[in-house]
Amino acid sequence: MENINLLMEGFGNALQPQYLIFAFLGVFVGTAVGVLPGIGPAMTVALLLPLTYTLDPTAALITFAGIYYGGMYGGSTTSILLNTPGESASIVTAIEGNKMAKAGRGAAALATAAIGSFIAGTIATIGLTLLAPVIARVAVSLGPADYVALIVIAFITVGALLGSSVWRGLASLGIGLFLGLVGTEVLSGQQRYTMGLLPLADGIDVVLVAVGLFAVGETLYVAAKLRHGPVELIPVTGSWRSWMSRQDFKRSWKPWLRGTAIGFPIGTIPAGGADVATFISYATERKLSKHKEEFGKGAIEGVAGPESANNAAAAGVLVPLLTLGLPTTATAAIILSAFQSYGIQPGPQLLTNQPQLVWALIASLYIGNVLLIILNLPLVGMWVKLLQIPRPYLYAGILTFACFGAYAVNFATTDILILLLIGVLGYFLRRYGYPVAPLVVGMILGPMGEAQLRRALQLSQGELTTLISSPFSASAYLVLALLVVGGVWLRRRQARYERMLAAEVDQIDTVEDSPRQTV
Amino acid sequence: MTSTDPTPATGTVLDADPTAVDREPAGLRGRIGELVFAVLVLALGVFALIGVFSIRVPAGARVGPTVFPMVVAALLLAAGVALVVKVLRGDLGEAEESEDLDTSQSTDWLTLGKIAVLVLAHMFLVPIIGWAFAAAILFGGVAWSLGAKRWWSALLVGLAVGLVVQIVFGELLGLSLPLGPALGWLGDLI
Repeated sequence: MENINLLMEGFGNALQPQYLIFAFLGVFVGTAVGVLPGIGPAMTVALLLPLTYTLDPTAALITFAGIYYGGMYGGSTTSILLNTPGESASIVTAIEGNKMAKAGRGAAALATAAIGSFIAGTIATIGLTLLAPVIARVAVSLGPADYVALIVIAFITVGALLGSSVWRGLASLGIGLFLGLVGTEVLSGQQRYTMGLLPLADGIDVVLVAVGLFAVGETLYVAAKLRHGPVELIPVTGSWRSWMSRQDFKRSWKPWLRGTAIGFPIGTIPAGGADVATFISYATERKLSKHKEEFGKGAIEGVAGPESANNAAAAGVLVPLLTLGLPTTATAAIILSAFQSYGIQPGPQLLTNQPQLVWALIASLYIGNVLLIILNLPLVGMWVKLLQIPRPYLYAGILTFACFGAYAVNFATTDILILLLIGVLGYFLRRYGYPVAPLVVGMILGPMGEAQLRRALQLSQGELTTLISSPFSASAYLVLALLVVGGVWLRRRQARYERMLAAEVDQIDTVEDSPRQTV
Repeated sequence: MTSTDPTPATGTVLDADPTAVDREPAGLRGRIGELVFAVLVLALGVFALIGVFSIRVPAGARVGPTVFPMVVAALLLAAGVALVVKVLRGDLGEAEESEDLDTSQSTDWLTLGKIAVLVLAHMFLVPIIGWAFAAAILFGGVAWSLGAKRWWSALLVGLAVGLVVQIVFGELLGLSLPLGPALGWLGDLI
């Protein structure tokens, strides 16, 4: 009951005109940037971080929440209307949604994605509201060794389990951990790996790394092999009210709810990542559908389910982030660094120390969802136009904003050089198939992990068994072992599944194309 | 064209993998870049390990500032060795997919070089000519390198972007972006 009062208070805060404007600005800019091709949620959040530098913490976090949710909505529009998927979480949406769009049902795909995102986002935010205080209460009793266990889980799952290659993920994690080490060590005041260079003494700013990897790295990666010529875009026709037929609704509402039920729990555990959730949701819908023959050719369930799962997972990720201070995705890691730049440390104390801030933030998530459905259904035509931006201008803009963001961190031009170097690293990571997310998560979580590890060992006077002796950490490692086994199994299935799908889609394409060619 | 085993070490790839043909490298030449990168990961591990010895450990600290770096160095070394072995065996990474990407093209190093030079130029120009103009040159230059049809219109769009950001963020929101000599009067105005 107390929480409901706090939430109401949060609404009272978030509904103040000035905060409402920031929430609107956040979802608006978040959608706009998220729609832009080549920009996933993590890059959206990293690029737009400087926008919030001059705001007070509450306004900044409300704007940020809007950007986070907006980027998620925007991404689905891109994957449905452009014929190649960008980020991995949208791959399944792109398979079915793009087929629907090609068959002239793009409007229905966009509508089911938007409404599904709204429903999933709202239900998952309710989940966050109920779950966060409970977990925070449990988390207060966790000791340093328990945190070490949680962080190790996050490292292993994000680093080794989520990518396509275990060692490449671990290498990326290692590079991130190393970058996190550079600078002056907090406890002893010793310089580490600074090579005597003054700009490195304060450490490398996470914003630089995130913007460099995502924005500069992606720009370089695309620039090396840019597809020239006109953008192939599928037009959306008709008024938005007639987009979804009664039949479409009938086929969508269960996948929406199932997607939510799959996405939210997966988002909350430190094995998160929306792509796992979308994959499981897609596989489930395919199995349960009465229209199995449509899968691979544009089945509406295949858009409704995964899109809902994607957004539910996005809200789920906020649970460990707010209550444990534990980011489980690259996007969450960037959000955490935004918190830290305001001197706010997410964790079990946050809800008791800064209840106003947290509840205003959660309330703004509800508000943001409502704003987003309004922005995305009637106004989708406006966003679609953004997809047609000539690519040279688009990537020039991304790079310019990246340099702006890097410079705005400390107003030091050397940061632009660091940005470029990190961008080059990002380019080669992409080129050789190293996942980028473990690097960002490692860089953020590394210093936290080190602090907790040393605290734990300090308490036990160097006795290593302390790390696994508490009931919580012992069971955490047990779960980790299960996750590793389950993850390996799941990945094999996923790989096989994707290959099967790709083969099917190719087959359908050739069957569809061949008569046309003979005409 | 050494005849390495086309099946990656993990051994999960089915025979009917349609992408296997594309990923098969053109002999050693096709993987030299990836090999260099894997070696660099290994080198970073070595660097991290050597660096541990130059960190001063304060007296009396049981768990000092060198413990964690050693763990990180070990991780990097292990990953580096594993990756070098993998690449030598022909198990290459899958390049990331992206919108706007034409994977059939070969890498356009000239464009990459131009962009890198433009970013460096931007870095030097910001304090000299002001943020807005430095941004205009960066934007216009990158758009031109990427094949924008008219270089002058790219430059004009860049100038507009630069001025808007400078006025909104620099002047109205108070981020200290250098105005430069040409816009110095703006600072007094607002």
